[in-house]
Amino acid sequence: MGQLLQQLLNGLTIGSFYALIALGYTMVYGVLKLINFAHGDLFMLGAYLGLVTLMSLVVSMGLSANLLVFMLIFVIVMAVVGGVGIVLERIAYRPLYKAGRLPAIVSALGASIFLQNGVMLLYGARYRTFPEEFKTAVPEVMWTFAGARLTLMQVLMLIISFLLMAALYFFVNYTRVGTAMRAVALDHDTARLMGIDVNRIIALVFVIGPALGAAGGIMVGLFYGRIYFTLGWSYGLKAFTAAILGGIGNIPGAMVGGLLLGLIEALATGFVSDAWKNAIAFFILVIILILRPTGLLGERVAEKL
Amino acid sequence: MSRKLLVPLAIVLLTSLVLTGCPKKAAEPIKIGLQAPITGEYAYEGEGFVKCVELVTEQINAAGGILGGRKIEIVKCDDVGKPDESSKCANQLVSAGVAAVIGSYSSTCTEPASEIYNEAGILQITPSSTATRLSQKGFKRFFRVCFLDDRQGLFAAKFMLEKLGADTAVFLHDNSTYAKGLAEWAEKYYKEAGGNSLLIDAINPEDTDFRPILTKIKELGPKAVYFTGYHPQGGLLLKQSKELGTEFKWVMGNACNNPELVEIAGLDAAKGTYITTEPLPKDIPGDAAKKFYNDFVAKYGEPPASIWWVMSADALNVIVEAMKATNSTDSEKMAEYLHTKFKDYPGVTGNIIGFDEKGDRLGTVHEAYVITDTGEFEMVK
Repeated sequence: MGQLLQQLLNGLTIGSFYALIALGYTMVYGVLKLINFAHGDLFMLGAYLGLVTLMSLVVSMGLSANLLVFMLIFVIVMAVVGGVGIVLERIAYRPLYKAGRLPAIVSALGASIFLQNGVMLLYGARYRTFPEEFKTAVPEVMWTFAGARLTLMQVLMLIISFLLMAALYFFVNYTRVGTAMRAVALDHDTARLMGIDVNRIIALVFVIGPALGAAGGIMVGLFYGRIYFTLGWSYGLKAFTAAILGGIGNIPGAMVGGLLLGLIEALATGFVSDAWKNAIAFFILVIILILRPTGLLGERVAEKL
Repeated sequence: MSRKLLVPLAIVLLTSLVLTGCPKKAAEPIKIGLQAPITGEYAYEGEGFVKCVELVTEQINAAGGILGGRKIEIVKCDDVGKPDESSKCANQLVSAGVAAVIGSYSSTCTEPASEIYNEAGILQITPSSTATRLSQKGFKRFFRVCFLDDRQGLFAAKFMLEKLGADTAVFLHDNSTYAKGLAEWAEKYYKEAGGNSLLIDAINPEDTDFRPILTKIKELGPKAVYFTGYHPQGGLLLKQSKELGTEFKWVMGNACNNPELVEIAGLDAAKGTYITTEPLPKDIPGDAAKKFYNDFVAKYGEPPASIWWVMSADALNVIVEAMKATNSTDSEKMAEYLHTKFKDYPGVTGNIIGFDEKGDRLGTVHEAYVITDTGEFEMVK
């Protein structure tokens, strides 16, 4: 019983990271029908920039590691990675929209390799660790019930990711810009006729997606304390799977898909074997896709995004 | 008829040109390949190989080279720690015409490369690939200066039972050739010696969250867990294990013998962890070892971080010794020499007693270390 509860908590934590990253895949797909393979690497870039900003603010400038500083770090890094997202869209994707979907996907893969190698060359091919002393900002509080442990850090991570996901959901569904975004997702040409600046909306998608990914990157860095330049690949693959599982192009779908994938992984490890975890997770994915080819919440891009 | 004569004539002329063009054939450098993960997952170790091999090369060349003044030239190839890149590397080095090869780091990479070197008839010495099956293929020119997984497995099993008094244990690997082999050997010897193995399972090294498997192990309640994977995952396991409040003792294999383990885990989580390994560079006995250690510190300003770095220096030393003894760069002769006559060489990784008929280094040097409260690795007496 204790194990089941603990595994559910484990799965929820892992899943919320997947979900946060999956949002970036799903948003870009919803608006452009493009799978942005570089998204995982933008997430990884966020993790590295998070560490760099943290080091320069706390170590070089001598600020104490309190919650305000952490919020500042989130804002700075999300803005920078959002900027990288726009540049990426301008250089790697926009010139190719007219060329069809395949060239854009190849270009996205190229961007992914470029970012990965860029980070490797800039920061070295070694594991980077978030220094222990920054942990003081989050007191080491934990709760134990029925043999399962939950730390304050875990709770904070869950709260932040759910807040970010909820904010995105409301932004897309209940604001003017969000409405414009959904209109562009529906039909570029008609949206343009309605007076919507389609290119600006696309650019906006490429700010929000990477910025959310970057937030996920900082959180993974803070939570696990160890980052690496190939981090984007493993997380990206899982998040992409989560997006498909939930129904790509669908924002609540990405959240459901991410959490479900995390839970499946944790339970498969706990009750079968860690070595078989991925095989089981992907087997379930295949079953779900056979039963519901458009994912759990369906690819109803038109109404949902 | 005259055209048919022209071709051999041209060849004769050209060869004589070449021969007269470079009369000092002795000055031609001897190419030795170094295949290592210089970038990628294990870049840290690959960089260390390069440093050590370059140091030894420098010293030999400064002393006037070998075989009548021929210098040694190291041809590097980066296999990124991936098997597919490894095969490419092997082909590249073969066509570069190397006389012998040092490498690679992980057993996963050494395995495909060894097939290619074997076919090309090139002597290969791996500094660090310890999977038992690498030397089971009957390759006559494959050697290793490290020790086999099964010896470490035996040591670990005894250590857990006798020193730690752990009669129940879990074995964890990462499905790589090396880690899986070690975990299975350790489990086998552990069971044979009367221990109760509760679980043997594999983590996925690309994951960062190991709470699910740790939760499962916590539920099983072993007295010790033996992890045979690499330090980046080992560090996270220690860290998350502490967060989950597990009570068993951690014992880790020699791939975790790296200061980065403590850095990743955090001192709090890392202290008290045992590591079964060859001794650290600073603890290796012998004058040659001490001299190499001091030379390394003098050149690079820091001590060699892992035994594998130093092993790569000994791989080169053994190759050079074989070349000197046979007075040739012929792999066949060198291999023959290493199998039969090579004995008691004062290596920088301790005395190299010799190699058996499979090319495995004889003897063993394994020790257990414990991570102290200050994060140092201290030998368990």
